[in-house]
Amino acid sequence: MLFYFARRILAAIGVLLLISLFTYAIFFLLSPDPAVQICGKTCTPERIDQIRSQLGLDLPFWQQYWQFLSGIFTGRTYGEGAAAIQCAAPCLGFSFQTNEPVTDMITTRMPVSITVAVGAAVLWMLAGIGGGLLSAVKQGTGWDRGVMMTALAGISLPNYFVALLLQYVLVVQLRWLPFPQSVQFAEDPLLWFQSYLMPWLVLAFGYAAMYSRIVRTNVIDTLGQNFMRTARAKGLDAPLVLRRHALRPSLTPVVTLFGMDFAGLLGGALITETVFGLNGVGKLTADSIAKNDQPVIMGVTLLAAGLVVIANMLVDVAYTYLDPRVRVKSA
Amino acid sequence: MSITSPRTISIPVPGATLLEVEHLTVTFPTSAGPVEVVQDASFRVEAGDTLGIVGESGSGKSMTSLAIMGLLPRGGTATGSIRLNGHELLARSDREMRRVRGDKVAMVFQDPLSSLNPYYTVGRQIEEAYRAHNGGSRKNARNVTIEALERVRIADASRRVDHYPHQFSGGMRQRIMIAMALCLEPDLLIADEPTTALDVTVQAQILELLAELQRETGTGMIFITHDLAVVSQVADDVLVMKDGRQVERGTAEQIFSRPQAQYTRALLAALPRIDDPFDRLKGTS
Repeated sequence: MLFYFARRILAAIGVLLLISLFTYAIFFLLSPDPAVQICGKTCTPERIDQIRSQLGLDLPFWQQYWQFLSGIFTGRTYGEGAAAIQCAAPCLGFSFQTNEPVTDMITTRMPVSITVAVGAAVLWMLAGIGGGLLSAVKQGTGWDRGVMMTALAGISLPNYFVALLLQYVLVVQLRWLPFPQSVQFAEDPLLWFQSYLMPWLVLAFGYAAMYSRIVRTNVIDTLGQNFMRTARAKGLDAPLVLRRHALRPSLTPVVTLFGMDFAGLLGGALITETVFGLNGVGKLTADSIAKNDQPVIMGVTLLAAGLVVIANMLVDVAYTYLDPRVRVKSA
Repeated sequence: MSITSPRTISIPVPGATLLEVEHLTVTFPTSAGPVEVVQDASFRVEAGDTLGIVGESGSGKSMTSLAIMGLLPRGGTATGSIRLNGHELLARSDREMRRVRGDKVAMVFQDPLSSLNPYYTVGRQIEEAYRAHNGGSRKNARNVTIEALERVRIADASRRVDHYPHQFSGGMRQRIMIAMALCLEPDLLIADEPTTALDVTVQAQILELLAELQRETGTGMIFITHDLAVVSQVADDVLVMKDGRQVERGTAEQIFSRPQAQYTRALLAALPRIDDPFDRLKGTS
């Protein structure tokens, strides 16, 4: 078992290294020269050369990649002397547009993205699993059709549309909610909750729609299994049969999906954060793409990839506990 | 059957009528109108005896047994009369039937791997059956379970009780299903093709085990199969079914030596015979 975990962790590190290499290569090869951008309008070729050497952009690709990589673990210094810029470990690069280390830019925005992701995840798991179960157990009834119609809407409507619609109805027309503001929980818990409620709902709607469909299919599939007949033949009552025998086989596959989706959201909900003006990692991504701030784009790309790889690993580990068949094979 | 069971064990009187099925008809609605998958079946099982129900796939054998359990698939309805120890089962609510299932009538199914939940240990699945009817502590249920596993000759039962279904062989899984069915000392055991998924050697072991347990407990048994050779080994009485209708009913001796119905004769003629090397398959319809 320990061997299995060690192997999984090593594999994850390998994947992360590859991702960082590819990301770096793409930015190295494709993007316009950052030195030109930094230099601005009153620029001389000498000045550009100076910036290039300061940033290490005059070095060959492998050396640049190595500097970037070692910066993550040991930190790095851009330039020399009085003009030197310190970037402490873990250094994901330095944004010369905002004059901030990328790591700092991400960490200050991370709490917002975490809040968005956790709140949305709670809602969508409740709604998705609940809806899917209801739909499966009441298969073919009005309940089933109602849930599945709603799910269809959730899957088909783009979330920027749902976001704007919700904002228009709840804030502008009905005035049930104030316009979302960026407040800390400690400052004004109610306003904090009201501000996050719409982003949560918008994100949860889309995911819950997908999850309820998957849960429904899984539950219907499980209900048709022979072991369900065995459970009833033992004389167990119907709710117990459902709870004990149908739920676990139906929900275990959902864990995989949840790990990926949740990790993806932690890496920033680009559209939702932008629509609601939330200053999270998603908004940071959108802004830095708009401004072509390459070190930041690369930083958030690596973060998102890293989160997915880590989540994937955690899901695999969780699976060995959830599914006895996997557990014994891997041992 | 288990010593730690707190229940008083009522030894059934041999030869007394345990199950009486009269004019059983099972109907399913289809888009082309209702279809009767079992038509007017009548038979009885005496305590301690075995009734073999024989027929091809789709002859209504399994539906008959599910009707007795009150476990017909969605949409299925049963009419007629099913009396267990003189009590009518068809009139009962699902809640009342729950007390019958497992406790009075237990079932062993064809495919033991898919009939066991892969997510739980076999011990837990047997305990669950026991506790659904007898309550009591998990510890007691676990002891009953280990005893039941020992009875069906699972070696090292106190350790194996914590293993998962996929860690057992096919024959052992069927033993586990039998242990599950018998831990509650049912009056009637319905075995629906219990040996079909097993190879011949294991099949013989399972049949022997069932016969032995039946002798010890006096449980009545319905043995459903398409295999005439198996029926000849286990059954006291035989019911032959085809297309939902009962074709012939009689003692095993009558059916095998003096079959009356054309269909039964055709079925028997289809059996390969070791003493007739030039035998050819004859039509069965």
